Amino acid sequence: MYRNFLGEFEELILLTVALLNGEGYGARIVEELAGQTGRKAALSAVHISLYRLEDKGLVRSHLGGAVPERGGRSKRFYTITTDGMETLRSMRDVRQSLWKLIPSM
Amino acid sequence: MQERKNNPPLWLRFLLRCRLNEQAHDEVEGDLQELYDVYAKEQGKLKAGWWYAKQVIGFLRPLPTRMTRRYKSQKKLSHHQRIINSSYINPLDMISNFLKISWRRFKHGKGFSMINSMGLSIALTAALLILMWIRYEWNFDSFHKNKDRLYQVYGLTAAGNGESQAIPAVPEPLGPLVERQFAEAEATARVKSYDGFLFRVADRSFTGIKGAWVDPAFLDMFSFPLMQGDGNRALRQAEAILITGSMAKRLFGNDNALGRTIRIDSNSQAIVTGILKDFPRDSRFQFEFLLPWSHFERLAGGGSTGAEAWLRNNTTTFVQLRPDAALASFNTKIRNLSRVNAGRNDIWTHFLFPLRQWHLYTEFENGEPSGGLINMIRIFGLIAGFIVLIACINFMNLSTARSEKRAKEIGVRKTAGASRYALMGQFLTEAWLTVSVSAVLSLGITILVLPYFNSLMDASLSIPFGEWRFWILLIAFVSFTALLAGCYPAFYLSAFKPTGIFRKQFRKQTASITPRQVMVVTQFSIAIVLIIATLVIREQVDFAQSRDRGYSDKNLIRVDFLGDIEKNYPLIRQELLNSGTAISVSKTLSGFTNGGARSWGFRWKAENPKDTNTAISMFSADADMVKTAGLQLLAGRDIDINHYSTDSSAVLINETAAKLMGFKDPVGQLLFQGAKRKAWTIVGVVKDFVSGSPFDLASPVVILGPDAWFSTMYIRLNPGQSTTAALEKSAGVFKKYNPAYPFAYNFVDREYAQQFVEEQKIKTMAGWFSVLAIAISCLGLFGLSAYLAEMRIKEIAVRKVLGASVISISRLLSINFLKLVAVAICISIPVAWIAMNKWLENYAYRTSLHWWIFAAAALLALAIAFTTVSFQSIKAALSNPTKSLHTE
Repeated sequence: MYRNFLGEFEELILLTVALLNGEGYGARIVEELAGQTGRKAALSAVHISLYRLEDKGLVRSHLGGAVPERGGRSKRFYTITTDGMETLRSMRDVRQSLWKLIPSM
Repeated sequence: MQERKNNPPLWLRFLLRCRLNEQAHDEVEGDLQELYDVYAKEQGKLKAGWWYAKQVIGFLRPLPTRMTRRYKSQKKLSHHQRIINSSYINPLDMISNFLKISWRRFKHGKGFSMINSMGLSIALTAALLILMWIRYEWNFDSFHKNKDRLYQVYGLTAAGNGESQAIPAVPEPLGPLVERQFAEAEATARVKSYDGFLFRVADRSFTGIKGAWVDPAFLDMFSFPLMQGDGNRALRQAEAILITGSMAKRLFGNDNALGRTIRIDSNSQAIVTGILKDFPRDSRFQFEFLLPWSHFERLAGGGSTGAEAWLRNNTTTFVQLRPDAALASFNTKIRNLSRVNAGRNDIWTHFLFPLRQWHLYTEFENGEPSGGLINMIRIFGLIAGFIVLIACINFMNLSTARSEKRAKEIGVRKTAGASRYALMGQFLTEAWLTVSVSAVLSLGITILVLPYFNSLMDASLSIPFGEWRFWILLIAFVSFTALLAGCYPAFYLSAFKPTGIFRKQFRKQTASITPRQVMVVTQFSIAIVLIIATLVIREQVDFAQSRDRGYSDKNLIRVDFLGDIEKNYPLIRQELLNSGTAISVSKTLSGFTNGGARSWGFRWKAENPKDTNTAISMFSADADMVKTAGLQLLAGRDIDINHYSTDSSAVLINETAAKLMGFKDPVGQLLFQGAKRKAWTIVGVVKDFVSGSPFDLASPVVILGPDAWFSTMYIRLNPGQSTTAALEKSAGVFKKYNPAYPFAYNFVDREYAQQFVEEQKIKTMAGWFSVLAIAISCLGLFGLSAYLAEMRIKEIAVRKVLGASVISISRLLSINFLKLVAVAICISIPVAWIAMNKWLENYAYRTSLHWWIFAAAALLALAIAFTTVSFQSIKAALSNPTKSLHTE
């Protein structure tokens, strides 16, 4: 199977997209990341990662309507694809199997 | 959309807008706005602003192309829309692409690029030098604080016979009178320069130092700062002298010069009351010491006033007007000062000449400044422009010629959606890159040739690297040249139709005259005009130099009266003659090359009032002047006070003077001089000789007998001796009778040659420029012919295979270029003829325009062009046809 290698930051973004369940877009993801992990990510980094993830087929996006709070700007909502879910799962599995191998102290 | 209260800085938003395509920008800005509002509420506007800036900067990193490539929407675009949309190009990316492609081009066509940048950098160097020189001359004398209020008072002779003449000197009492009488005049200063003093400090003596007597206001009017001493008082003390720093060093070494005493000649002394900073080079005054005017009056035996003093224009006088004074009304007030005070209505009037024009205008026509240095500035400015134009034409020609090779590239670019503007941008970037490389090169060349140029133009130019204005000007100049050089290829090439290019039809040129031909003709026309100009200037200078002077200047030296020479003149003369050092010695009042003293004060019998307004040049003689100077006597005899005791009031006149006075038999007639009507008897007539500028026609001359005054002497050395031996012996004689001074003499032939300095300058410059023009033109022709030979390489090969000879092929390739040069010759000859006729009109004594000058220039241009072109065409004709044919 074709395997995607994700960087740590991309993995976090992908997880956040997954947990927002189709409601995730740039600003929301930045806020969520800050809320959940305390990490202040640059918006540019988030956007670039989202585009990359989309190129790799791990997320999908669609344009939402414009809202006045955003100065009439539209949102691009991201949803995780099955490939994305698959990748997350396999990454978690690999980690867990590695964790199990660490001798307990 | 509602109006928002909190908006992040506009320029940050604009930056973002440039960086991202429409879609990505929409999302990102929305996100930023949303988060900005949150931060602004939580932490204040300022912090949120900083955060916003940081985020925007984050987007300047490399981004996925999907975020930057410009599309209107993600849906599939038709071909048409794609072409329209392609004008939304990210400018940063495009410019970096332009530069990249340009650089590759530059490296790829090394030969062409070299020709281009070499021609351009030579032209830019010429232009740079000329612009620097113009700047220098333009700002001459402009360091004075009061420069806009300073004027020199001029005299203007009454318009009698012909036009009136402007005289840069006025009567001595005029300055003080103006200051007393008119409120508009804030200050006036008279300046009389002198370099004949013998200065003595302790036992050392110094001569040949140039300085001046000035009125005390001089230092208030002109900005010559003092390093030591009080500027307000220094010149107002009796027995004061101001010296410059470098003179102080020469006289006193490293000791403090202030307060020290300098003995001047044998009869006076002065105390140094101030040390001046050295006068800057771009100053009209080049003095090393200043003495108060009172010192001059003491030497001259009291200031001259009264009606008689108003009849002599002998003092340069400067006026500083009050800031609110009106020049025109003041001019009318001083106009008739001399006439009123001298009590005569037929003498000169006065006008003020502003400082701004002193250096640029030295010639006058009926009292209006008409020319001088400004002519040279105009001519050379024009020539610099033309040379840059020639180099730009090279660039255009080579780019368009190469375009045929690049046509496919352009076709591909266009079909891939490049807009015309993008292609223009590409070509202009290429031009800009080439010009920039050339500009850097030309800065280097300028540094190398600057010392030579400085000595040629007698200027002290330096590249003002430290001045920001210079860099801005340079960049503007480069951009302008790039635009000039790049605009034609940009418009011409970008207009190609892709369909035509791929059908291979575009190469056929239907127009009978192509722009390229026009440009080659232009180039060569300019070059040929410059060649003709150089030849005419050379001819004119040679013509005046080899003019029959009317006197013989071989072995003739002139010694100015300094110290005791005048007193001991009879003894010196006798000893020089007795020892066989000299064959003839005479004294006179002024050197021949100085033009004598101009006088309007002569009257004669049956005079015509029109003629008495003509200036007559005065010289004087004691005896043997005809023999000493080698003049030719036409009638009568020489003045000789040693044989005829009545000769103290004898006078010699020249042919022109005899004609002016209308005497049938001049010998024995009387001339009356001045208000006292002193009578002079004409004893002889001499042939016209050149007095003053060798470019002027002979002027009327009188040589007065010993009743006149004297200031210099001529010595004709014995030709039987070597010049060095004769000079050594003379030095001995002068040492004996004038021990305080070193023996200083001038060779008259060298003094004569000195008068051609300005013309020699023009000659050298014009020569260089015509060499440059023809060289740059040929450089272009070389590239063009190489290119066209390469284009026709298959045709040449086929012709050779079919039996064409090398000669016929080279003729085929060269003839078209030579035709263009021939057209250029036809255009340039009338232009040059008109221009050079106009130039020659500046000179009263001038050569005519010989036909051979034009023929020579035409032949030269043809020969050079032929050599250039035939080098390429013979190379092409000799090439092996199998090599060029087997590629297909």
